[in-house]
Amino acid sequence: MSAVDKSATPVTSDGAENDRGISSKGLSQGTVGLIGAVVIGISCIAPAYTLTAALGPTVSAVGFQVPAIILIGFIPMLLVAFGYRELNNRMPDSGTSFTWATRAFGPWVGWMAGWGLIAATILVLSNLAGIAVDFLFLLIAQLSNDPGIAELAANPFINVVVCLLFMLGATLISYRDMQTTQRLQYFLVSFQLLVLLFFAGTAIVAVANGNGFDPSALSWEWFNPFAVTSFSAVAAGLSLSIFIFWGWDVTLTMNEETKDPDRTPGRAATLTVVLIVTLYLLLAISLLMFAGTGTGEFGLGNPDIQDNVFFALAAPILGPLAFMVSLAVLTSSASSLQSTFVSPARTLLAMGHYGALPKKFAAVSPRFLTPGYAVIVSSIVASTFYAVMRFISENVLWDTITALGMMISFYYGITAFACVWYFRHQWFDSIRNMFFTLLFPLVGGMILAALFFITLIDSMDPNYGSGSSVGGVGLVFVLGLTVIIVGIVIMVWQAIKHPKFFRGETLSMDAPPSHRGRKR
Amino acid sequence: MSGRIVVGYTATNAGLDAVALGARLASASGAQLDVVVILPGSGRNVADPSDAGYDRYLLDTAEKWLRDAAATIDPSIANNAHIRFGESFAEGLMTAANELKATFIVIGTAGGGRLGRHRLGTVATTLLHSAEIPVVLAPEGARNTENSAGITRITAAVGTRPGAGALMNEALALVSATGATLRLLSLVTVDLPPSVDTGVIRIAGAAHADDVLATARAALPSHITAEAVIARGTSIEDAVQHLSWEPGEIAMVGSSRLARPRHLFLGSTAAKMLHELTIPMIVVPRTPLAKESQR
Repeated sequence: MSAVDKSATPVTSDGAENDRGISSKGLSQGTVGLIGAVVIGISCIAPAYTLTAALGPTVSAVGFQVPAIILIGFIPMLLVAFGYRELNNRMPDSGTSFTWATRAFGPWVGWMAGWGLIAATILVLSNLAGIAVDFLFLLIAQLSNDPGIAELAANPFINVVVCLLFMLGATLISYRDMQTTQRLQYFLVSFQLLVLLFFAGTAIVAVANGNGFDPSALSWEWFNPFAVTSFSAVAAGLSLSIFIFWGWDVTLTMNEETKDPDRTPGRAATLTVVLIVTLYLLLAISLLMFAGTGTGEFGLGNPDIQDNVFFALAAPILGPLAFMVSLAVLTSSASSLQSTFVSPARTLLAMGHYGALPKKFAAVSPRFLTPGYAVIVSSIVASTFYAVMRFISENVLWDTITALGMMISFYYGITAFACVWYFRHQWFDSIRNMFFTLLFPLVGGMILAALFFITLIDSMDPNYGSGSSVGGVGLVFVLGLTVIIVGIVIMVWQAIKHPKFFRGETLSMDAPPSHRGRKR
Repeated sequence: MSGRIVVGYTATNAGLDAVALGARLASASGAQLDVVVILPGSGRNVADPSDAGYDRYLLDTAEKWLRDAAATIDPSIANNAHIRFGESFAEGLMTAANELKATFIVIGTAGGGRLGRHRLGTVATTLLHSAEIPVVLAPEGARNTENSAGITRITAAVGTRPGAGALMNEALALVSATGATLRLLSLVTVDLPPSVDTGVIRIAGAAHADDVLATARAALPSHITAEAVIARGTSIEDAVQHLSWEPGEIAMVGSSRLARPRHLFLGSTAAKMLHELTIPMIVVPRTPLAKESQR
């Protein structure tokens, strides 16, 4: 039975508003159990996709210390996620970071937080589609035994055309709100996890049998972040590892929709993160053991394979079964496409709704009940972005991932500070509040802010990351700065054309008062 | 007839067609009007994390849509608005119709179709495959028909196939509720497989059609008179085009032989008719629910 208790509340046709208290109940109350929440979490993280995209750049930054970076990269994510959860419980709104930062810091900061979120998700959309294209060609090549086909993916014209087709498909799916069934979702996630485990296991067995490409003995040094040569390298690695955990926070913020809101989100978040960290460590360690960090053909230090390591390593490790990895990455990208598409679209919708962007962005498709206009705009921007980048960058996937880490630090950082500032009157209401609304988000926000600025400054160096540069300045820097400047330009333009939002008329600043006075 | 007419509303022209037709039908038959918006419900959204904020926004939007729809309804017609949740539009609408004990479900069939014609989308098709009560299909442009046009005539496409009994009952109920006139239409003569030697069959068919119509008329209560016509033409489409249709007319067909009892299924004849009709069409399930069990 799918009809929810809401059905008992008719909307009277004389225009009377119905009770807001009733409306505040979600549509999907009490439907998600522990396993379901974990599946959603893993599906949003899409480990097969994130690791193939991020492992190479991370190795290039920190060498063998990838396991250490994965472990400490989780810390700012966790701290910020706590703040995120507090804000989400207090003001659930589809604008998330945008709405919360506006409530805490006013329209200008809020606008930029929303912009950061949109830019980050648009970057990841184009990267996701780019990875999917590579693996599609690889899969066809593997199944047809014709390695030439995999090389077609390197042709920029073929690559861009196929990528745009992927984006078109993803747009249609999101626009029409076509859903996978729960069973398929469970199957895809299990398949992804099993293939990755198998991949890691086979790599370790190969090393044990003396078949490693560049066998490197596992050492505790790999877990020591202080063994990384420079602080900049740690920062670069961290900003990448933030990307691999991005999406995990959904498990923590699921609330009304879980069967047991008091326990399920916490347990699901813990279980998800244990699974994901274990998997990441296992894969990172096994691939490091197998391939080393050298610049040889399959070495993780080889810049030619770094932007997509599974693509290069699947065949030498798994042999004829390599197509399983291609399938896992493809399905992983595909199943996270919708959740990735939904996020910028919903923020755009909220921004349109509050007048921070033209009203059109707030339009809901009457037939499919999706933020239709926002979905189409995100898709066009992401497609254009990918097409342009493919031609100006030698290493588009790598550069987008690095720029992405920077944008995530940017808007997550603002969100964390928004949490701290929004709850400023309630910090000392309880010990719990002190940790969850002050200390945790403050420390998390500071780490992210530091990461953002260090990455921004370091990336000015034309040799930063993949080594792509524009006019003697690192491409990642140009990307990051362009995104922010474009954001400011659009913001100012909107402020001139439609100043309502910027005068605080649609979404006002706020800070809930302390409850201590009341208790006395 | 003190029935309830449930309109499946979307904030599109098709939705406005459905609301306008539902209102006209309600006003002519003295029924109550219920306008329903179906939102995606729980259990459906497994791929992406649901977002309470977006859900609320959707709810607010749906309320606004319903207010806009209600504003188009003549104030003299009693109407209610509802927001329901369902796995799909069709599923949610049927659940709502069952709960409200609806006597008709009205949906719009516009959307890419030629002006004034019906075009069945996935929603209408799903509904026609599974509804247990008559489904009223509003053609593109039904929103432009004035409420004052009323319901002037009901044309029931009778055949000898099962379902005709239910069809006649529905047609009679609607005729007595609306005061419309009744026209019985036989398509037997044109509803033939192309391979049949048409010349011979057509003559036999014409005689058969007369029989069918005579039987149907004989079954009518004494106070109701019905005009009877035999469609002529080279095809169903041709025959439908050559018939005269009033602006306030509604066509009625029974659901196909392939349908499970009490469920609708649009047969090929009905589908061909629908393709040409510029007036609303009601599809009646093979075996209707016992009328007595409803209010």
